[in-house]
Amino acid sequence: MVQKIIQSLFIFVFILFFAHPVFAADVTLHFFWSNGCPHCAKEKVFLRTLQETHPELTVKEYEITSDISNVQLMEKIGKELKADISGVPFTLIGKEQFVGYLNDETTGKKIEEAVTCAIKNGCEDMVSGLASNKNSQTSVHDMNDIPETLTIPLFGQIQIRKFSLPFLTFLVALLDGFNPCAMWTLLFLISVLLGMKDRKRMWILGTAFIVSSALVYFLFLSAWLNLFLFLGVVVWVRMLIGLVALVAGGYNIRDYFVNTQGGCAVMGNEKRQKIFEQMRSITQRRQFLLALGGIILLAIAVNIVELICSAGLPAIYTKILSFSHLPSWQYYLYLLFYTFIFMLDDLIIFFTAMVTLQAVGIQSKYSRFSHLIGGALMLGIGILLLFKPEWLMFG
Amino acid sequence: MYMKVLKFGAVWCNGCLVMRPRWAEIEKEHPWLKTEYYDFDTKKEIVRKYGIDSGVLPVFIFLDNNEKEILRLSGEIEKEELLRVIAEHESK
Repeated sequence: MVQKIIQSLFIFVFILFFAHPVFAADVTLHFFWSNGCPHCAKEKVFLRTLQETHPELTVKEYEITSDISNVQLMEKIGKELKADISGVPFTLIGKEQFVGYLNDETTGKKIEEAVTCAIKNGCEDMVSGLASNKNSQTSVHDMNDIPETLTIPLFGQIQIRKFSLPFLTFLVALLDGFNPCAMWTLLFLISVLLGMKDRKRMWILGTAFIVSSALVYFLFLSAWLNLFLFLGVVVWVRMLIGLVALVAGGYNIRDYFVNTQGGCAVMGNEKRQKIFEQMRSITQRRQFLLALGGIILLAIAVNIVELICSAGLPAIYTKILSFSHLPSWQYYLYLLFYTFIFMLDDLIIFFTAMVTLQAVGIQSKYSRFSHLIGGALMLGIGILLLFKPEWLMFG
Repeated sequence: MYMKVLKFGAVWCNGCLVMRPRWAEIEKEHPWLKTEYYDFDTKKEIVRKYGIDSGVLPVFIFLDNNEKEILRLSGEIEKEELLRVIAEHESK
């Protein structure tokens, strides 16, 4: 009991002498942000407007990637207020905290309400006390330190600002999709379909398989994108995706040098046989609708399993896409475009087989080159995600 | 002149489909060459006999007139490389 009282007294004295909560006449808003964070950029614009309409408001800005002391201050606040400091933007008005920034209508509105309330009722500025030994930044950081050109291995010098998002989408999707060895289910389906006499059935079942596969991939990409949009720019997520890009890049380049033969590895017999048996029995069903439903379900199941193996590139791409300030419909248009390019080799193989009634393959040497180019690109993206994420903001 | 080539492939294997027209051309140009195709999924016995259970498809096994294996290739092989191998071993 005595120990508890001493402990409480100690905490009280500590807060009294060291934390120095200040009851400010004016309201101070503390804004923690990072370079390359689109949500922070959005909030920054909003805060400028807010300052114009509320002259009593002072905005103090703390950039966390270039100044470690700002991170330490943020951690201090997190500890002191038991606040969630897992990501930026992090905004503090008195004890009111906001993590992330969706848009002016939602988060912006809440921030404005908190500011109005603080102006009306006053609020204690915890941070000024905590940051007494730290000169906070009040100037707006200039984000125009992006160079005009960037040298990327194999690509040479590229104009950063002209390096468009559609081109990046095309390149990453091509790299992601161009894997002839991953087409084994489609090739098996084609072999079964070519044995049919009913050409109409053949076309419909094959198309249903490809469209369902594309839909699964589109939904998978959408899930990644929404996760990143929801998280905003949590620093460690960006770092993690940057590391994934470096590993994916290294793996692709390694594959170019190691897999010179270009054959397809023999994968798990049992799994393959099971899928083939199901595919054969589904396509041979007399009732067309049952066959169609079966092939759609099978395509969904097979592709969901395959997704686990190919999470890297979609995650990297959607992370970059989430940096861009785009209306929702444009995000999804990009994902549709990505899915189309991703499915391009499947479409070529399928249509060629259906028209010529002969199964054809794609030479793996092209796949090897795509691995080499894509690997170099991934390495570049990984480095940028880790050190210069703002260079990947295309929107 | 005698040479036999055992070709192991599968309908789901992209590389096997790439190799199909290459072998068709070679077989047309070298009618004395004996070739046999075995499906990896259905011809289990011979697949096991030649130990094709793991690794990469397609696999091509070159046999001499005593049915003895003289060379084994796997993956996508250029036509020129196959012709070179055939020319090298046809006199043996």
